[in-house]
Amino acid sequence: MNRTVLLVGAIIAAALVGVLYFALGKDPQAIDSPLVGRIAPDFALKAVGSNESIDLSRYRGKPVVLNFWATWCRPCWDEHPVLTQNAQAMGDRVQFVGVVFQDDEKKITDFLRERGWTYPTLVDDRGKTAIAYGVGGVPETFFLDKHGTIVAKYTGPLSTELLQGYVQKAMR
Amino acid sequence: MTSTLGRFLVLASLLVSTTGAMLAYAAGAKKSIDGLKWARRFAFAFSACMALATIVMEYALLTHDFSVSYVAQVGSRLVPTWVTIVSLWSSLEGSILFWGFVLGIYIAGATWLTRNEHIEYMAYAIGTWLVCGTFFGFLIAGPASPFVTIAQPPADGPGPNPLLQNHLLMIIHPPFLYLGYVGMTIPFGFATASLLRGRLGLAFLKPLRNALLLPWIFLTIAIMLGGWWAYEVLGWGGYWAWDPVENASLLPWLTATAALHSAIVMERRGVLKGWTVTLVQASFLLTILGTFMTRSGVFNSVHSFTQSSIGPTILVFLAFILVASIVLLALRIDSLEAEGRIDGALSREAMFLFNNLLFVVITFTVLIGTVFPLIVEALKGKQMSVGRPYFDAMVVPAGAALIFLLGIGPAMPWGRATREQALRSLVPPIFGAIIVAAIGFALGARNSWTIATLAFGGYAAWVTLAEMWRPVAQRMKSGESIIDATTQAQWKRGRRRFGSYVIHAGAVIVIIAIAVSSTMRTTHEVSLHKGGSATIKNYSLQFLGTEIRNEPNRVSTIARFRVRKNGRDLGMLEPRMNQYAMMREPIGTPAVHSTITEDLYVSIMNVDPSTESAGVLLITTPMVGWIWYAVLLMGLGGVIALVPPRRIVILSEAKDLAEGRDDAVAMNA
Amino acid sequence: MKWPSRRWQITGVVLFALVAVAQMKAPDAEQFVGPPRGTPIAGDALDQRAHEIAVLLRCPVCQGLSIADSPSEMATNMKGQVRELLSRGFTEQQILSYFERSYGQFVLLKPKFSGVNSLVWTLPVFALLVGAILVVIKIRKLEQPPAQTAASDDDYVARVRDLVNK
Repeated sequence: MNRTVLLVGAIIAAALVGVLYFALGKDPQAIDSPLVGRIAPDFALKAVGSNESIDLSRYRGKPVVLNFWATWCRPCWDEHPVLTQNAQAMGDRVQFVGVVFQDDEKKITDFLRERGWTYPTLVDDRGKTAIAYGVGGVPETFFLDKHGTIVAKYTGPLSTELLQGYVQKAMR
Repeated sequence: MTSTLGRFLVLASLLVSTTGAMLAYAAGAKKSIDGLKWARRFAFAFSACMALATIVMEYALLTHDFSVSYVAQVGSRLVPTWVTIVSLWSSLEGSILFWGFVLGIYIAGATWLTRNEHIEYMAYAIGTWLVCGTFFGFLIAGPASPFVTIAQPPADGPGPNPLLQNHLLMIIHPPFLYLGYVGMTIPFGFATASLLRGRLGLAFLKPLRNALLLPWIFLTIAIMLGGWWAYEVLGWGGYWAWDPVENASLLPWLTATAALHSAIVMERRGVLKGWTVTLVQASFLLTILGTFMTRSGVFNSVHSFTQSSIGPTILVFLAFILVASIVLLALRIDSLEAEGRIDGALSREAMFLFNNLLFVVITFTVLIGTVFPLIVEALKGKQMSVGRPYFDAMVVPAGAALIFLLGIGPAMPWGRATREQALRSLVPPIFGAIIVAAIGFALGARNSWTIATLAFGGYAAWVTLAEMWRPVAQRMKSGESIIDATTQAQWKRGRRRFGSYVIHAGAVIVIIAIAVSSTMRTTHEVSLHKGGSATIKNYSLQFLGTEIRNEPNRVSTIARFRVRKNGRDLGMLEPRMNQYAMMREPIGTPAVHSTITEDLYVSIMNVDPSTESAGVLLITTPMVGWIWYAVLLMGLGGVIALVPPRRIVILSEAKDLAEGRDDAVAMNA
Repeated sequence: MKWPSRRWQITGVVLFALVAVAQMKAPDAEQFVGPPRGTPIAGDALDQRAHEIAVLLRCPVCQGLSIADSPSEMATNMKGQVRELLSRGFTEQQILSYFERSYGQFVLLKPKFSGVNSLVWTLPVFALLVGAILVVIKIRKLEQPPAQTAASDDDYVARVRDLVNK
């Protein structure tokens, strides 16, 4: 019995199979955001359809739901009513803000005119806000508490239950 | 009905392989000739069942029988017939069936070719092959079944993934890859047999070596075809991204190449038996790991269309084979005794050992780079990336070292070398190094690794050509004409050696071409309107506008360019953006103008027919075409080495062997 | 009240728009990595450096491609950011830190040499050194004559000897 072969082989086998077994449960596309727990980067962006510039810090004192989306993003269409309805329901307690990037302003105004809106939608400047927030795709939603700290990030279209769960977290 | 027939055949093959494996191992343990005969029958039966099942599937695909689940998944009435035929391997279930088919062919071939020989090993070998057959049969019968009956068959299907319909290379890359991957099972069986038997006789070295060389040839070409396909199809202008699935195909190639080299030392000196066997086991294990990496969904890859839910099953098989191989190696490796010795560090034999060291370290590096993000996530819960900059930084120096060895290795004499001998062989090729490096420098190479690679490559080219010439020159000294001398030395008697040097020549060209094409390319991104022009190096491209072409399965927007080089008209280049019916995002096809010196590559970033405008990426890549053809040369060299020598040669070599002149034998066998 | 003439109206709107736009402020790298620590560059040098840094950043929406190789709009935006930051004089370190801050280490294609990550750089070198030592030891060992001479019980060789000696 060659002890060296057995030992080296056992180490390689255990390490390899162990790592692969661990990895089987994970989704390689699910990346944690490093911004959770940090102050949300401040920005002032143009509201769609007007020339008004809206500053994120104006909403300090209330939890904020910050949703990145675009009109070419199919799951965002499904998410839109969830956001507009909940925004209306929670209006005074929670501030909803939408940021659109990589899109055409006319398409955005048409979209909103057709489907309605209950909270401000801002237009990003060359994707710089998205980059500062580490946005990879759309839709992605950040939940800020009343101090402006990011308490959670959700990637993908939200459902009402998920949304309310995260809002609860932001209100704590 | 077709599904039922297919399922029946797959279950039959599973049953046959399970029974056959047990029978074969029993026959091996009892050294029973009758048992071996039955094991062979079961091996052929397994192959027959797999072949029939595959024929049934192709029949179902070609007749658009959407009651069969796999046909409903990838079949379509809209696609050309060749796409229908190759959609057998376009998605998971069909490609596992294809794996079983190729495995069946290899097992049948290997069983047939060894029908009169190596009785002591074959029962164990067949048993091992059929164990692998059982695993894949289980996958095809169960978790990855392509033959599920669909109660309400749809009228039509979505067709295979559009990326796979974009190019003719789709036809040949997967089969070559499978012929390479699956083929590693055969030498694995031989190696396991020698471990189980507790010895590896000199006579068994040839089947082991040939069983390794044949899949190696396919795998080498398959890896190149993958790179070529990525280059022509994906639009970013490169051919190798160190993507996990690409690495999965490279890992077994590295260990198999190492094994081929240590097998030479094993044959000449009867040493390194245990090490060679370990490398052969590793090559097979890496193919199973590779299939896990491709299909488990665990890795981020551009090949993600092959991901599925059979990952856990493959992992279990991998763990089983890994543990079994390690235990077997630990128990039996010491019984594979050395039957010779080598003459110290200044010998060609020692160079082989350093060659193996480099190949194994590169394998380790590529493997650890690929799985490292998983390790970090397991240990610290954070995600990180290990991408191209890492692999390039690690592998480029190692590759340069390998090319250096490819030069000095064959230059070293076998056995103990005197100082004069060493100098006589090692000094003249320096001229080759200087010449090639100078040419490269004159043509614009400035990167230090590139120049080093050119120098080592020039050295190696000189050595390879000198070694090819030497036996011819020797024969001519005794009066033979150059034609006779060449035919005798390279074809009739020294085929294997000649084949190896052809492979080396190809490898030198490949490495030089890779170095030049990566460091001396130029890129230019530009937005154009109809009538506008863009230039890159001495090419000028005039944008003539867009055109929309409707095909049954896709709508293509073509951007038409007229290309001129130094004012001379080169014709049209027409990159496309294809919108497939079933995909949300369009997929681009670049247009490539290849010449012997460089490629001009045009890829659409965005195109708008309504405004007749397009954003394009222009790339010139020197010497990239050399890579594809030089790898084919390597494959040709392998084929030359594989052609068996005629009987007369075997007998005269046998005479040499018996009379103790093993030098001549090893040179020519 | 007399309305301002059309020319003044237009000027007024334009001025207002300019002021509104001027107050628009996307988050800036300076908030996160401090003021630029290098010198601003332009022209060919800028193209060159921008490409060199782009190959080090991973496109977040692609499967492993760098932003230099990716045609996606996200990658184009990120490349634009890299160019802008370089032209303002930020160093490579600062630019990489900025992206790392929002995307995590995931976005760095070249693993940072810190903490557990350094293993991916050191282990192969360690393997090479250990391997080289083992090879030298093996060569020394193989220089000794073997325990037994060439297998005389190998059937093939025996059959051949018979054939030849017949």
